Amino acid sequence: MASSTTPTLQVCRECGGGAPIDAHFCPQCTKILSLGRHGDYFSFLGLPRKLNVDPAELERRLRDLSRQFHPDYFYNASPGERRASLERSSYLNDAYRTLKNPVARVEYLLEIEGLAAKGPQEASKAVPAALLEEVFALNEELDEIRDERAGGAPPEAWKARLERARVPIDAKREAHEADLTALSKRWDALVDAGASDAQRRPILEALRDRILERNYINNLLAGIQRELDGA
Amino acid sequence: MSKVVGIDLGTTNSLVAYVEDGAPVVIRDKSGDGLVPSVVSVAEDGAVYVGREGQRRLLTDAQRTAYSVKRFMGKGREDVRHEAEHFPFRVSGEAGGVVRIGLGQKEFTPPEISAFILRELKRRAEDFFAEQGELDNDVDRAVITVPAYFNDAQRTATRDAGRIAGLEVLRIINEPTAASLAYGLDKRHTGLIAVYDLGGGTFDISILRVEDGVFQVLSTNGDTHLGGDDIDVLLMDTILGDRARTAEDVQAVRQAVIQAKWDLSDRDETMLNGRRFTRAEFEALIAPVVDRTIGPVRQALADAGLEPSQIDEVVLVGGSTRIPLVRRRVEEVFGKTPHSELNPDEVVALGAAVQADILVTGNREMLLLDVTPLSLGIETMGGVVSKIIMRNSTIPASGSEMFTTAVDNQNAVDIHVLQGERELVADNRSLARFKLRGIPPMPAGMARVQVQFQIDANGILSVTARELRTDVEQTIEVKPSYGLTDEEVERMLLDSFEHAEADFAARMLIEGRNEAEAVIQATEKSLRHPDFAAIEKEELAPGERQKIESVMAGLRMVLNSKDRETIQKWTHALNDATQHLAEVIMNRTVKAALSGRSVDDV
Repeated sequence: MASSTTPTLQVCRECGGGAPIDAHFCPQCTKILSLGRHGDYFSFLGLPRKLNVDPAELERRLRDLSRQFHPDYFYNASPGERRASLERSSYLNDAYRTLKNPVARVEYLLEIEGLAAKGPQEASKAVPAALLEEVFALNEELDEIRDERAGGAPPEAWKARLERARVPIDAKREAHEADLTALSKRWDALVDAGASDAQRRPILEALRDRILERNYINNLLAGIQRELDGA
Repeated sequence: MSKVVGIDLGTTNSLVAYVEDGAPVVIRDKSGDGLVPSVVSVAEDGAVYVGREGQRRLLTDAQRTAYSVKRFMGKGREDVRHEAEHFPFRVSGEAGGVVRIGLGQKEFTPPEISAFILRELKRRAEDFFAEQGELDNDVDRAVITVPAYFNDAQRTATRDAGRIAGLEVLRIINEPTAASLAYGLDKRHTGLIAVYDLGGGTFDISILRVEDGVFQVLSTNGDTHLGGDDIDVLLMDTILGDRARTAEDVQAVRQAVIQAKWDLSDRDETMLNGRRFTRAEFEALIAPVVDRTIGPVRQALADAGLEPSQIDEVVLVGGSTRIPLVRRRVEEVFGKTPHSELNPDEVVALGAAVQADILVTGNREMLLLDVTPLSLGIETMGGVVSKIIMRNSTIPASGSEMFTTAVDNQNAVDIHVLQGERELVADNRSLARFKLRGIPPMPAGMARVQVQFQIDANGILSVTARELRTDVEQTIEVKPSYGLTDEEVERMLLDSFEHAEADFAARMLIEGRNEAEAVIQATEKSLRHPDFAAIEKEELAPGERQKIESVMAGLRMVLNSKDRETIQKWTHALNDATQHLAEVIMNRTVKAALSGRSVDDV
């Protein structure tokens, strides 16, 4: 989504006047704007497109904007305004929920920057290259544990083995979290510096790879947990 | 302008409140009673008795009397099969359909029974406003509360009940959140609050952050099948065993165990079934029920990302929080003494009134940001649920999902909407099945139908769909899995007018009887006057006493008939017959007072 094609104006359905894309109320007629053309979650909340978001600031914006357009305050308004309040509040809450979670925030940034992962199913099929070794080892270990269980081994034995098997995966996950943090900082610095798309692109791609790997790792850990729970 | 009220439609008791001069007030009857027992009894002649009168009829006409109907709201026949055994009334309904409750010859859906209770509350409020001298005492709009953990079907059933009762339901709000609003009024506190709400039939825990007057729910959890009722059933089982009893006997035992339960809230022992029953025995018996609340508490804390020690204040709501064991357990979990300054029975209705006031007056001092308690999803391949809106999302919330076609020229797609946290369709609550129609003919996989799910501020779902390639809006046929269609609600509203007439007649009859009884009592008092012999001899006409006695006997004869006019006719006759006697007694009293003797000496 290059900035040159991003719309900057929306139209007020009440008076037909134009309003900035991130406005919530029409500058002409002061009515709440219906949620037609709108900015992304960051700009809707009045936040820069950065990955480090101060949680207290996010909460404050949710409260401030809710106080402006929550449906409670439009009970006596026209049907059009009520609908606008409902849609705008829903979008606000969706924005808040997405940006509150650090991982969802990265995924959302990738999506609006045009680098979305192709959905969780696809992501989990192909083993990311960086994880090949760990995944190969883990699958071998899991097979042996299953054989052991089928052979009637006591739960204590194979459970402990299963716990050991997840240690390298857990370690990998921690390394990923650190990676994500470092990349996020670099992204924010580029935004602050007003860097070009060409400069930003490599960081976004690195973030996308980390997210894909992270999802893969989480699926692996969930698989181990299922084996443990299925005891 | 017509009045707005807040209503707590409870499992055991219901209340109505309103805001006066900025403060919420519970509307009480003449004796000061704010609670209307959520009991509805339908007599053989079709008259409907609600509240205390309904409760009395549990002991005389149990099979025609429904209570704890909230437990059946939004439920299907299969959901309640096991539970129905505990109730004296008939529980039926078609397979896969909504529950029906049989009272005598008639069958009612749970929203219809609830509507009787709502109408009683509406009437109580209207009488109150009329007495206050309000010109427009019409009550036609209300905020009604539901347990936070109610699903979409249960919320919709509650809204339907309001509509059947002739109320515009301004908003459905969650009980613990309403309670926090009531508590937030006099204390401008900022911080993290846990509301522990154990009522007659349901348990809720909500964690809120309060700041700048915004009450933001961070998470909620609960059990819509856990409350005082379960404690009563446990106690009843210890007494009744397997012996067969009449429905009325069972109700007598039920009322006895409820009394014992109340006694043990401020005493160490009481009598139950003719023997000593100690608080220690009681607590040992109910501990498993109380412990079932702890899992949801921990889950809500985890979902809010908080430790128990981070909670600043704990608020207790619901009658069952009067039980000392409940208070101790809550204190143990949070490590602090819970608040219970406000009456736990009334605090929810007060909060509902505050919310009603916010909606109609545009008062912006406070704002409630609530969450949806359960995740919303749709059925995908292999009977697995794909989640679209996660639980504890702030509402209003929306989500969308893209569908396509599987065969060439397919013009419709079936969609199954579910609510719950489990992976498999079978383990979740089926909300509705939709058929998307009118998809333009195109090769398989080409259609791009975007289905938009919108949860409004009531926590109620609506669905719209659009085919993106042609921009054609899709028609959606909604078949609620366990709800009523709009047509059914409309018909029930019409039916309710018939009941309203029967209700009115019944009330007039009761009032007529009360008036007759009052006149009889006054007459008896006159006839027992210490000076009556002298009065009769000196001042009454011959045969006057005999006339009074025979008219009084006549009134007594007709008193229990159902003919209000006859009762009224005889009441007037007795009034007329005693008028002279009353004047004589009055004169004597006055004379005695003037001559210096005290009235007591007369």
